[in-house]
Amino acid sequence: MPKSQIVDPKAVRTAQQLEIAPIPVNQYTPDIKAEKKTYGADTLTRVYYDMATIREFENMLNSIKMTGEWEGMEYTHGGPAHLSIGQESAAVGLALNLSIEDFFFGSHRSHGEILAKCYSAIAKLDESALQQTMEQYLGGDTLRVVEGDGTPKSVRDLAEDFVLYGTLAEIFARKSGFNRGLGGSMHAFFAPFGSMPNNAIVGGSADIATGSALFKRINRKPGIVVANIGDASSGCGPVWEAMMVAAMEQYQTLWDASVGGAPPIMFNFFNNFYGMGGQTAGETMGFRVLARMGAGVNPENMHAERVDGYNPLAVAEAVARKKQLLEEGRGPVLMDTITYRVSGHSPSDASSYRSKEEIEMWKDADAIASYRAYLLENKVTTKGDLEAMDERIREKLKKAMRLATDLSISPRMDGEEIAGYMFSGEKVEAFDDREPEVLMPLEDNPRVQQLAKKERFGIDASGKKVSKVKAFALRDGLFEAMIHRFYKDPTMVAYGEENRDWGGAFAVYRGLTEALPYHRLFNSSISEGAIVGSGVGYALSGGRAVVELMYNDFMGRAGDEIFNQMAKWQSMSAGVLKMPLVVRVSVGSKYGAQHSQDWSSITAHIPGLKVYFPSTPYDAKGMLNLALAGTDPVVFFESQRIYDIGEYFHEGGVPEGYYEIPEGQPDVKRAGSDVTIVTIGATLYRAIDAADTLQETYGMSAEVIDARFINPLDIEPIVESVKKTGRLVLASDAVERSSFLYSIAGTVGRVAFDYLDAPPVVVGSRNWITPAVELEDAFFPQAEWILDAIHEQIVPLPGHTVTTVQTNGELLKRYRGGV
Amino acid sequence: MAEIVVLPQQGNSVEEVVLLDWKVAVGDSIAEGDVLCEVETDKATMEVESTASGTLLAQLADAGDEVPVKTAIAVVGEAGEDISGLDLGGADGGARTGSAAATSDATAGPAAPSPAEAPSTAAPAQAVGTTGPTGDHAVSPRARLRAAERGIDPTAVTGTGPGGRVIERDVLAAAANTTASARTAAAGGVDTGTGVGGRVTSADLAASTGRPAPTSGPGDVAPAAATEVREEIPVSGVRRVIADRMAASLRETAQLTLHASADARAVRGLRARFKASGEGFGLAGVNLNDMVMYAVVKTLADFPELNAHFLGDTIRRFRGVDIGFAVDTPRGLLVPTVRAAHGLSLAALSGRIKELAGRAVDGKAGQEDLAPATFTVTNLGAFGIERFTPVLNPPQVAILGVGGIELKAVETADGGVEHVPHMGLSLTIDHQAVDGAPGARFLQALSANIASFDLLLAR
Repeated sequence: MPKSQIVDPKAVRTAQQLEIAPIPVNQYTPDIKAEKKTYGADTLTRVYYDMATIREFENMLNSIKMTGEWEGMEYTHGGPAHLSIGQESAAVGLALNLSIEDFFFGSHRSHGEILAKCYSAIAKLDESALQQTMEQYLGGDTLRVVEGDGTPKSVRDLAEDFVLYGTLAEIFARKSGFNRGLGGSMHAFFAPFGSMPNNAIVGGSADIATGSALFKRINRKPGIVVANIGDASSGCGPVWEAMMVAAMEQYQTLWDASVGGAPPIMFNFFNNFYGMGGQTAGETMGFRVLARMGAGVNPENMHAERVDGYNPLAVAEAVARKKQLLEEGRGPVLMDTITYRVSGHSPSDASSYRSKEEIEMWKDADAIASYRAYLLENKVTTKGDLEAMDERIREKLKKAMRLATDLSISPRMDGEEIAGYMFSGEKVEAFDDREPEVLMPLEDNPRVQQLAKKERFGIDASGKKVSKVKAFALRDGLFEAMIHRFYKDPTMVAYGEENRDWGGAFAVYRGLTEALPYHRLFNSSISEGAIVGSGVGYALSGGRAVVELMYNDFMGRAGDEIFNQMAKWQSMSAGVLKMPLVVRVSVGSKYGAQHSQDWSSITAHIPGLKVYFPSTPYDAKGMLNLALAGTDPVVFFESQRIYDIGEYFHEGGVPEGYYEIPEGQPDVKRAGSDVTIVTIGATLYRAIDAADTLQETYGMSAEVIDARFINPLDIEPIVESVKKTGRLVLASDAVERSSFLYSIAGTVGRVAFDYLDAPPVVVGSRNWITPAVELEDAFFPQAEWILDAIHEQIVPLPGHTVTTVQTNGELLKRYRGGV
Repeated sequence: MAEIVVLPQQGNSVEEVVLLDWKVAVGDSIAEGDVLCEVETDKATMEVESTASGTLLAQLADAGDEVPVKTAIAVVGEAGEDISGLDLGGADGGARTGSAAATSDATAGPAAPSPAEAPSTAAPAQAVGTTGPTGDHAVSPRARLRAAERGIDPTAVTGTGPGGRVIERDVLAAAANTTASARTAAAGGVDTGTGVGGRVTSADLAASTGRPAPTSGPGDVAPAAATEVREEIPVSGVRRVIADRMAASLRETAQLTLHASADARAVRGLRARFKASGEGFGLAGVNLNDMVMYAVVKTLADFPELNAHFLGDTIRRFRGVDIGFAVDTPRGLLVPTVRAAHGLSLAALSGRIKELAGRAVDGKAGQEDLAPATFTVTNLGAFGIERFTPVLNPPQVAILGVGGIELKAVETADGGVEHVPHMGLSLTIDHQAVDGAPGARFLQALSANIASFDLLLAR
């Protein structure tokens, strides 16, 4: 909500009619003269070669899936194979006019796009660059399998073998596959040729590709980004969210013109008219013509156009035009590229939802046969040449199949190795060498100047707590970490809802607006899925992103992006990609059931995420510093209850300089000997209250440990504490059932069993909705609950009067009742 | 309305029974006259019948507990009934401490009473079981570990954790109790001290002087009819401690006693010379027992396996020797310890022994005097005992019993027989920690050292 733009009631209330500009449909007219002139005979012929390669590749997989045999080679492939027989022309046409800087992101049905993009790159790269790329990729593991048998006649020839084998080996989960077999059919990709991750979640690439385009625009990198998604993904919220983020007007109205305008993103819907068995035109959607969607997004209709995907040259021509638009910063672009999947959705698809006649009609119109006839008719090449090509393709695929199915040549990874790919664990000071773009020297920043006057330790010399106005607070620690990295790493961006001007809903970013240009700190549309998803795309493209979810509860809106995308791409790519993405998640209170939940336990359950949850200013700064120096995805929880809290534990207060908290290390906030209390999040302060009462009233010394980290977490210090005290209570604001605290409790119970004087006891929030603020004390763990739990389960506290029921009978009753 | 079932008087002389087994679980229904539980008196096993009908709401004692007669043992009422308001101490003689305030697990809401409201607030109160019993003799893993380290049977310890669970502090208290009791056994029945960890301090000992012997309790009970019984002495206080310690020692260790004898001519000769040496040398008081203890200390230097504690998972060997010695005092057996005996000359050792024994006999032995030893010597030689089987003092792994001096026929070099005075030596070892052969070698070496005591002194 920039003040520079006025929302004028007179203007917005004026009566008028919106005029929607016409949307072109199948406007390409074949013109062999012009086509020959544009591409030359060789390239036109190569289009056939590329299409025929994809067709044969998919036929081969179809045969393997259906009969377990192809060309005398037997193989059982247990995994998926979503084939694109019939769709080859669209993929090859799309890749024809793109360079290796242009990225494809795809879907579960993207074998054809991988091959098309890679073959297009092979045709464009010089041989030494090709050779170098192959030698460097995975340390040459893929190349070594295909080279040296004497069959490739040139580097390009070898590169084709490399791509065919790398893709097939990946589909067959071989360690020399493009992603060491960790991606498989639905996720395989080869980044050096601009074939970026393909996504098994329908529409999953839309927001990731948008983030990749943001990366290109913000960091002034060449190339456009194409999200290859299906027509049925137009029913997915995140696809619309991605289009909204891609179409934000601020790129034109507020961003510095030198940045270049809107992110260069093309939403290319490969429209094969079916989402599995649902017909998008006539059954499951209402647009009739998908290109119409563009009219709902911006005045330019997203430059939408329906293109005949059964003519590769029609697609290529459209792409050339759209690429220019995108490079000029006038995106986003929507393409409705019609095509047809002759093969089933998957081998189990009996095509019961469509008629044989329909399939036959499309087979008659087959793009490859038509194009072949077109070439011969116009004497671009000869029948003999094309037949020789067919034979060559077959020989190459036989080689790839033989190598990829031979376990001695193409072994699979040992399962245990997977652990090594879950995190990249690197430290990166800056992802680019250039000077970070900022608007003022750090020392001139008003927030920086304001913080200089704050008390960095929250307890004064007389032992009293410093007033909240004077205390350097948790939100200040977060700010210092953010601005530090902003001034170091030029690629770092932060965005989300109300990130600019407002300073974030909780004033963490106050002072950043003054410091940073729009393209490094901006407000996004309320599109949580696309906020995180674009962050994923930004990070895997090579930049550092910090995106914010204003409330933890909104994670539900970004579920796929957090659980399936940011968590998975480092390992699914076998370390080819890094994910320097921090998702700041604010845990609320006072605002009821949909604004006051702590879902840290849910994120703990998803492999591939790092999960941090600081609860003091010292930890907040040091842990955000850590997150912003790493290369792994971090879900960074913050509790709204304590944004204004001072530092009460770290002697000397919060350092002004840079420091990092050692990853995974819990922190003893108060040493003690009789009972260990482990907390996560703001419950720390209630545990401290409980520890005070234990000491003052019952003469019992409690050791209070803030776990700080959820994943990774070094549980050993907690184990050591429990070995000393014999007793363990764990508390956090997460609801008790399935709380991550049980993971700690169970682990300690196992490791330190003989040292336990009582069972570890978890004190969580009740398994209810978070009620109104006036009832919150009945929902969130209070100091009293901790005392009651100790009294009932661990050691009776003489004279203690319980206020809650912490008995085993009550626990079992709650579980029986599901509450 | 819930009713309290009171444990009936079981015969005239019975004050306490041991609860053997509950026949009805909490939550089960029961009719008046149904068997509620089984108890055992010193003479017989009996069944206790319910005096009320309904649902058993609470069991106020656990199996294995000693329960005074005429106190509340159970609560019967309607299922789910809140019994937190019941005055369970209302029965004759006051309720058992602790679980008196038990309420049903299913009680919802913050209804649990505080222990302050419970009839007994004796600390550490076993109180407040809103949590039901965790099972017969539930023992926390940590308590088990501590118990193993200290050679204590955790199931014999009274639990103060939730539901009567034996937790670490119970074992530590029992350990302190046992150790202190052993040290002060005859000193007036003080078995829990006010010192650190419940250690008995000299103040405790002083305070205990004149403490009345435990009696058979309130309400003079008519003597039992059996004329052949002269008297019944309740096993409590000192006797209880000795009984527990000795039985525990024999139950928990593998005792093996080896007998030997040592040529006593050298020590006897020296003893005569010391006696005659006059006050100037300061050796006149050195007696045979001092010399044997000196020999033991010196011999132990070569046998670390006997100068050790057996701790279950580990055997702890000691560099120095803290030597304990049994003293018969007017209050009973006491075992003072000479700390760091390995550094003492014979005269100094003798002096310490006299000093400690004197204080023990006078009832002035302090906590320091009674510190745990690494090896103990007990001497019954003065009573004409030739050999005996000393009972180990765990966790020590060995104890030496010294017998009287007897003439022993010894074959001389020329094939004749000579009668040589020999001192009886009986070594009891814990075979868990020490095998017979090392024990025998120690005894052999000790015998040799005693036989050549004059040479040993010169070493």
